[in-house]
Amino acid sequence: MNDNGFGGYIRQRREELRTEDSDFSLRKVAAAIDVEPSYLSKIERGDLPPPSEKAILALAKALNENPDMLLALAGKVSTDLQQIIRKRPKLFAEVIRELKDMPDHAVLRVVREVRDGNW
Amino acid sequence: MIELRRDSLVFTFPEVHPQAQLSVNFQRTLRIPDDGKEYPLPPGLGAFPLRHVDDFPKTVSPDWLEHGGVLLPMYQSEALWIMFQAKYIDEHGTYPFAVQVAAGKINAVTGDTWKEGLERRPQNYLVAPTQPWLDGFSVKKGLIRQFVAMPLGAGYSAEEQITGKGEYGGLQISVFPMKAVAFERHFPRRPAGLFSKFVKGCRGFVESDMGLAPGGLMKQEIYEDRFAFDDWDTTHSRCFVHIANSLVWRSITGVNPPTPPPTSKEYTKHGLPWFDYYDDGSVPLPGADVLAQLQSVAELGKKKGDVPLPENESVSPSNVKVIRPRKSKEQVREGVF
Repeated sequence: MNDNGFGGYIRQRREELRTEDSDFSLRKVAAAIDVEPSYLSKIERGDLPPPSEKAILALAKALNENPDMLLALAGKVSTDLQQIIRKRPKLFAEVIRELKDMPDHAVLRVVREVRDGNW
Repeated sequence: MIELRRDSLVFTFPEVHPQAQLSVNFQRTLRIPDDGKEYPLPPGLGAFPLRHVDDFPKTVSPDWLEHGGVLLPMYQSEALWIMFQAKYIDEHGTYPFAVQVAAGKINAVTGDTWKEGLERRPQNYLVAPTQPWLDGFSVKKGLIRQFVAMPLGAGYSAEEQITGKGEYGGLQISVFPMKAVAFERHFPRRPAGLFSKFVKGCRGFVESDMGLAPGGLMKQEIYEDRFAFDDWDTTHSRCFVHIANSLVWRSITGVNPPTPPPTSKEYTKHGLPWFDYYDDGSVPLPGADVLAQLQSVAELGKKKGDVPLPENESVSPSNVKVIRPRKSKEQVREGVF
């Protein structure tokens, strides 16, 4: 894998944390997320694609990163979000496309209209 | 569009003016004695809780889902007033709105059956913020009959007395903003502090299982529209407010309604305030003949041999506070409870 966005970010973040705390060595972080150090090293270098959702969530926890943000860097969408969308795919597809270009503050204020019916 | 924010209906019209906003809420209040005497305005005892009917698709009736809108809980021992709060726009003034209010689809100002759209003669709407509150059916110049809740089907509601049917119940509200060009003309930009004639106000709605019936007599003027008829936009938003009796509310929503309000007697005995509102600069409407002919709950109960109001003793309010527009931007009409 040549595009090293995910791996590069993980490596940079882990190295930053390691300068202050040796618990963030490659070996210790790999142990914390239950993978081999060589596997994590290859991911960080971009030799391997990003790991499973489970491992990414564990990494987010270990490195104190936002899990949705790390999943997005890895080109993934969390299973719970997928389930939410699958329940009402048309509605959420429309909503997400509608919100695409809105500034964050507008997106965060979800508006619910009082529905009018037939009287 | 209409949003539900903290038990208020918030009407906005971004397509007409970016800041045009009217909040409408429904205030709980005590039932004034229905004894033929004319009473001052009772206090606001807090807003009725409002919920989307869509949140309870399994427990509300199919009719309510069909009507859409919101619902609120009401005890038969309480009454309601509607408070209108229009947004103050800095360096201009308060944005005006024309508001149609109906109970059981009977217009509370004219007594006509519901017609979507403003009419000037007779005026079938009120103007906010000139009119900060509405407490009941306009029966005579300067006099209304209080909105009180009665079970639909018992024959007391204004709707049943006028149409012979208890089909809709609840409250219906339709809001029309002033056109932006008219607003700019009436309220041109000027330094803050010089112009704030209007009072903010609002007093709730209700609908559903319950209908609103004419209760006791109260001194309240419904004011004539001082703007040109053409100043009003035809764009409007409307909302059906269903009224559930308090026990039904619990079975619909799973939560308890607020505690019952005090009686007029208890309230007055403690010297708590009643209110009078005077706006010398506005002209009151004459009241609607068809509404004047309605029988109040007590009158009709007597005829039917019912006792619809277990507590209906006359009271003599001594602590009456006078509220006038212009005194402040926020007019408070609250009792202690």
